Amino acid sequence: MKAAVDRQGANGQKTVVKGLSFSGVTEDGNCVEVDVADGKIIRIRPLHFDRSYDRKPWTIEARGKTFTASTKSLIPPFTLAYKNRVRSPNRVMFPLKRVDWDPKGERNPQNRGISKYERISWDEATDLIAAEIRRVVSTYGPTAILLQADGHGESKVVHAAHGCAHRLLSLLGGYTYQARNPDSWEGWYWGAKHVWGCEPVGKGRYQSNIIPDIAENTGMLVFAGCDPETTPWGWGGQTVSQLCYWFKELGIKQIYICPDVNYGTAVHADKWIPILPGTDAALYLAIAYQWITEGTYDKEYVDSHVVGFEEFGAYVVGQEDGVPKTPKWAQEKTGVPSRIIKALARAWAAVPTTTVHANGGNMARGPYATENMRMEVCLLGMQGLGKPGRTMWSTIEWGLFGNGWHPRWAFGGSVPVPRHLLYPDTIHANRGYAPGLDGHTQLITKSLVHRAINEATVDNPISWYGTTWCREVTDDQFVKYEYPRKGCSEVHMIWTDTPALLTCWNDSNYTAKAYQNPKIEFMIAQHPWIENDCQFADIILPSATKFELDDIGIDNFTAEFGTLFYDAKCVEPQGESKSDYEVVCAVAEKLGLLEEYTGGKSVEDWIKLGFDTSGVDHLVSWEEFREKGHFVVPNDPNWHKHAVALRAFADDPECNRLSTPTGKLEFYSQRLAQHFPGDEERPPIPKWIERGPSHDERISGDRAKLFPYLVVSNHPRWRVHSQHDDMQWLREIGTCKIVGPDGYGYQPAWIHPVDAEKHGIAQGDVIKVYNERGAVLFGAYVTERIMPGVIYVDHGARWDPIVTGELDRGGAVNTITPRNTTSKNAAGMVTGAFLVGIERANLDELRQRYPEPFERPYHQACGLAYERMLA
Amino acid sequence: MKAMIIDITKCNGCYACQIACKDEHVANDWTPIAKPQPDTGQFWMKTKDIVRGQVPRVKVAYMHHICQHCDEAPCLKACKMGAIYKREDGTVIIDPVKCSGHKLCIDACPYGVIYYNNDLQIAQKCTWCAHLLDKGWKEPRCVDSCPTGALQFGEEEDLKDLIARAEMLLPEANVGPRIYYIGLPKRFVAGGVYDPEEDECVEDATVSLKDAAGKEVATAKTDGFGDFWFDGLGVGVYSMRVEKSGYVPIEIIDISTEQDINIGDLELSKSAQ
Repeated sequence: MKAAVDRQGANGQKTVVKGLSFSGVTEDGNCVEVDVADGKIIRIRPLHFDRSYDRKPWTIEARGKTFTASTKSLIPPFTLAYKNRVRSPNRVMFPLKRVDWDPKGERNPQNRGISKYERISWDEATDLIAAEIRRVVSTYGPTAILLQADGHGESKVVHAAHGCAHRLLSLLGGYTYQARNPDSWEGWYWGAKHVWGCEPVGKGRYQSNIIPDIAENTGMLVFAGCDPETTPWGWGGQTVSQLCYWFKELGIKQIYICPDVNYGTAVHADKWIPILPGTDAALYLAIAYQWITEGTYDKEYVDSHVVGFEEFGAYVVGQEDGVPKTPKWAQEKTGVPSRIIKALARAWAAVPTTTVHANGGNMARGPYATENMRMEVCLLGMQGLGKPGRTMWSTIEWGLFGNGWHPRWAFGGSVPVPRHLLYPDTIHANRGYAPGLDGHTQLITKSLVHRAINEATVDNPISWYGTTWCREVTDDQFVKYEYPRKGCSEVHMIWTDTPALLTCWNDSNYTAKAYQNPKIEFMIAQHPWIENDCQFADIILPSATKFELDDIGIDNFTAEFGTLFYDAKCVEPQGESKSDYEVVCAVAEKLGLLEEYTGGKSVEDWIKLGFDTSGVDHLVSWEEFREKGHFVVPNDPNWHKHAVALRAFADDPECNRLSTPTGKLEFYSQRLAQHFPGDEERPPIPKWIERGPSHDERISGDRAKLFPYLVVSNHPRWRVHSQHDDMQWLREIGTCKIVGPDGYGYQPAWIHPVDAEKHGIAQGDVIKVYNERGAVLFGAYVTERIMPGVIYVDHGARWDPIVTGELDRGGAVNTITPRNTTSKNAAGMVTGAFLVGIERANLDELRQRYPEPFERPYHQACGLAYERMLA
Repeated sequence: MKAMIIDITKCNGCYACQIACKDEHVANDWTPIAKPQPDTGQFWMKTKDIVRGQVPRVKVAYMHHICQHCDEAPCLKACKMGAIYKREDGTVIIDPVKCSGHKLCIDACPYGVIYYNNDLQIAQKCTWCAHLLDKGWKEPRCVDSCPTGALQFGEEEDLKDLIARAEMLLPEANVGPRIYYIGLPKRFVAGGVYDPEEDECVEDATVSLKDAAGKEVATAKTDGFGDFWFDGLGVGVYSMRVEKSGYVPIEIIDISTEQDINIGDLELSKSAQ
């Protein structure tokens, strides 16, 4: 399968090396070889790293066995099937205007998310947009424009999927910035950071060389709310899967604690411990109780490495509140039998144990998720965090923030596996990225966009703590932010290249109302596919996919090798689509700012600059890079000389301080005590919060009488968040879609047979999942893979409204997630572990009552199709 | 002669093999080896989830159904048009030009892996990507895309160690399949043992399993969670005895393995002293 064979193929065939991760930031991953002939993508296949370069894979030896890294990329199914996405019937083909939006007359904001679209020319579209930008800026000032430009998507550099409008709006004097909260790991960011620092994201920093350490020393791996067979896929492929199989060979026990038999549990678990969603803190408190009462924690380590253990212990054993956090106590909260909790506590204390996380899961994304993650770090501390075999393994985003271009974030080399020689960087060529707050005059955290628009005014602003920006340091969590900020405008225009709040963020039925708010005079979306928030825009502009343009890219995520590649065009743009960069160029031209916007550089100039500043230009010439189309970064021959993460801290905490104020593990956080006195939702020591002013989502509460089921909503198996929902080959998989009796591909909702029987629900039935915030239809997947009392739904299915803001057919479960943030002073979002009711849906009745949504053009294999939006 | 290994114990269920097959064969014409596969609906390499057991003792196995490239291929014999032939490397091919859509091969195949293309009016199935092998590829797309090594392909001779511990599907059909399976899911009986009085899991209890004839087929010790697993069982009726010194032994009869079974959490009471 060496290149030579295919490169010389018939029909003018060429092979292009591309990254096909879906992180959407500068860093790409999942490198592939794309065979192209006759202007058509023939195939997408793993990159064989040795196709053009002599590269030897790294190996790890432990317990008499050897793990050899793959010589090909271990790509996930949505990367393999990406042809589907490029030629999706849901592509936006032309600029579109909402039929009842008239900038000179009635704007009909109330019809956003309802009314249809008509085709207009690029010229007309950019005229309208330029005129609206001028009008809004001159009427209200530049901060009246909200730019939604963050999150995931195709990873591109010059033609960045997100944020190309950032530089244009900056030229106009600024804008309002939507700050992306750490949506996949809120509990780490708002919770664990207060115990162990781990700046800036709260997890993932302490990873250097821990895989060889686990292989050598760990006896048990605890996967809590973690699916290593799902979340890592969109970043670095499936190396983690290989490692889990190897760890089994080494005899390392793998314990899964989660409500569902997630895809890791399905194949790797030695023991599955089902737990009610979001109750992990209770389980962990009972483990701490067991260790304290049996004396099985590392007292010496705690004495020298921990502050606040006394307060913590007093709470655990019940001295503080009269409630000992016994296994029996925890059984009621968690649904885990007390004897299993005791057995787990003993097993954990008996052998070096490491916890494993992969983002997602409700443990870190539910109400009061801070407490779950703080508790986990406390348990790790009680067993000697950083000692051999005792750490936290983050299975995702290796090499992220690896570029060193910002001193606060650079920890790219801190990967758990043998590291690459260097981590290339294309940030200087990136035309999209909006790094932090620099240059922004006003911000709204993404988790509060709906409240900001629906509730806040200049006279009555809303406030919260922390920018919530996912790469912000902990100190910022004590800074109060306001919207509207003094001297700034309320938002009157929205520009989104991130149209996925509906299916990925919190209480998005309320977001629908925000988009319909008459305050919003104009909304523009640029996106390759007409989905989710696009359906509210007054003008939709068609973006091109990364197969339709020339770019440069890096893969730092992949464990085996790093790659810098010339992300070359394979096929012509679909319809009249332009790259995201070119879209903004077209608007800039109408504003007379094209030259300033482009810096006078062509795309090819930017690509060359990307190469020149990548950091590998001394290892390969531009000419060789262009000829081969990519460069495979060798591995660091001295990788094993780098210290294992946290080992130095474990050995000598005085000289190797953590980034907490005391430099130690803060079981008691003086900072939280000082800044948020009396905060019972995130007190100075981690606690079990049954309910509070922000949330009442436990089965013990009155709401549970109306809505008796808890939802576990994981990161999707067959999508990366909102991406890939239209891929026909994935939709054929039984756990991806369930075709209802009406022929519609419904998002599966897993339900235990016992619960299904109670409601007369059979496999394949369409069911309604509901609470006060609305209702969503799903296809019933009746299975033993979910514990009774819990409904499992992957988020990210495309929103397909029956009644906008009330009832969705597409399976966008986030439309009914809680509105309030993680807790009062933690502005994360809550997207799992919340209460719902379920019932069998009456499709005939729905169809009679709402004929239009059921008659929209629909693609049998791909689902929602572009034509449905046309007038 | 080529052979393929499918190791179910190494399959993580990512469906890359199923997808890669579609990527190769949908909308690509590899005549004379194969004409395009329809956009959806055919699965020349089909992955299937098998959910085993009941809460909280549940596993998932991923089965793979693919043309077995039989040495005594019934499809080849059934075809009246002489459209099906076996290559020297063992690959069975339906000639997409000669095939006239009689569907006799579909009825003849004991494995149910031949599909009918309504638009082209021909029968279609896995070709082991012979068009690529002929260009120098070492393995078909499904194998190249497999991240865990669950799929392997090569000369039968080179794979002989794996073949030695593999099984075939439907050996009774006696058609000489060239796909070798490792770890085909059988049946399991699992459960847990605990002491209700102490509220503790019972470790190191001995669990012995007998078949319908009363013959002991396996024994196991419970682990720290009180759990025991018997995997690799046949379909049948079993009985079980759980014992540990200091406890009253318990017997369970009529355990049917029509499906994988979590027998539940068993109470062990202390024996009177």
